[in-house]
Amino acid sequence: MLKTAFLTFVVLCISIVGGGASVWYALKANESVGAVTIGEWTAFPSLGTPDADPYSKARVSREGLLALGRAEGLSFSAGHDSAGDALRRECSYRIEGAVPSARFWTLYAADAAGNVVRGGKRRPGALHSYQILHLPDNTVSIAAGAHPAPGNWLALSGEGPMTLVLTFFDTPIASSTGASDVTLPSIVRVACDA
Amino acid sequence: MLRLLYALLVGIVGAGIVHIAVLLLLPQFAERDAWSSLAEAADIYKAVRIDGADGSPPIVQAVDPLFHAAACRFDLDEGPVRLSAPGAVPFWSVSIYNRAGQNVYSFNDRATERGALDFVVLTREQMIEVRKAMPEDFQKSIFVQVPTGEGIVVIRSFVPDPTWEKATSEFLARIACTKE
Repeated sequence: MLKTAFLTFVVLCISIVGGGASVWYALKANESVGAVTIGEWTAFPSLGTPDADPYSKARVSREGLLALGRAEGLSFSAGHDSAGDALRRECSYRIEGAVPSARFWTLYAADAAGNVVRGGKRRPGALHSYQILHLPDNTVSIAAGAHPAPGNWLALSGEGPMTLVLTFFDTPIASSTGASDVTLPSIVRVACDA
Repeated sequence: MLRLLYALLVGIVGAGIVHIAVLLLLPQFAERDAWSSLAEAADIYKAVRIDGADGSPPIVQAVDPLFHAAACRFDLDEGPVRLSAPGAVPFWSVSIYNRAGQNVYSFNDRATERGALDFVVLTREQMIEVRKAMPEDFQKSIFVQVPTGEGIVVIRSFVPDPTWEKATSEFLARIACTKE
């Protein structure tokens, strides 16, 4: 009798604790469901829509996200450079290459908690395509780092890991089929402050 | 020993069932979702800034730093809701979310004549009623038919540089979110 009660208790413990913990872990760690990866950049075209998978839906509800709609734009984020190393705020990077067609795009750096990295006192922490200098072949070259750079400069500050967020607004790539065959700029590390 | 092994096996199967149940029920029971955060900040049918413009923490996470945004909750069971705002800004876009925060419809300023923001959100049944006798006020409005009762409208406005901040703030402040 006591043995049966003990076994029932074991079954219930494993079920409830194991089931709850696995959901918590999946929502924390698993960010790859429904992702589209292009070079260093990753986007979630179906995040926050009714077609999204159950994990994305649960994450949207739990974190209170309101994702961009398809007619608004598509947001790509990058946490690693072209060599596969994590992006850091004390390093400087060159973001170079062609960008897909869009009405305009914005680029900013976010810290680990998702807050925007400010670029010192008088620099906004973001760039957009209307203020960017383009190269003759219509590609862009942007320097990102704490030290001022000629040309296009995305000012960073502080230290620690960061994510670069590149968002295209009013763009055909946000429709379901277009996101996989576009090219995005590469992120190359130039130097790091010791 | 064999019985303990059996109990462990049953426990793992049970964990799988609990995993699926928790995952599917989470959207219904989440307490910190966008709707709840907005409900704390403002009444229903009241447009409120969600990007933390006045130095307060943003209500909804991950708003682009070059954007201003405002949101308004609505309930279509009480009738269609109309949103309008006078003025011109470089770019605005609108998303309509259902109660669970899923994006059910979105459009931007290219969808309208001369970029004026004026639209009516309604259900299919209300659309049929409106078509029967089009009210005079609705002549120039965009109609957005959504399959949701309660929902959230978010209007985002692009701020290319600080000189536009006043104009976009005023644009968002003048949003009228009214039940028709």
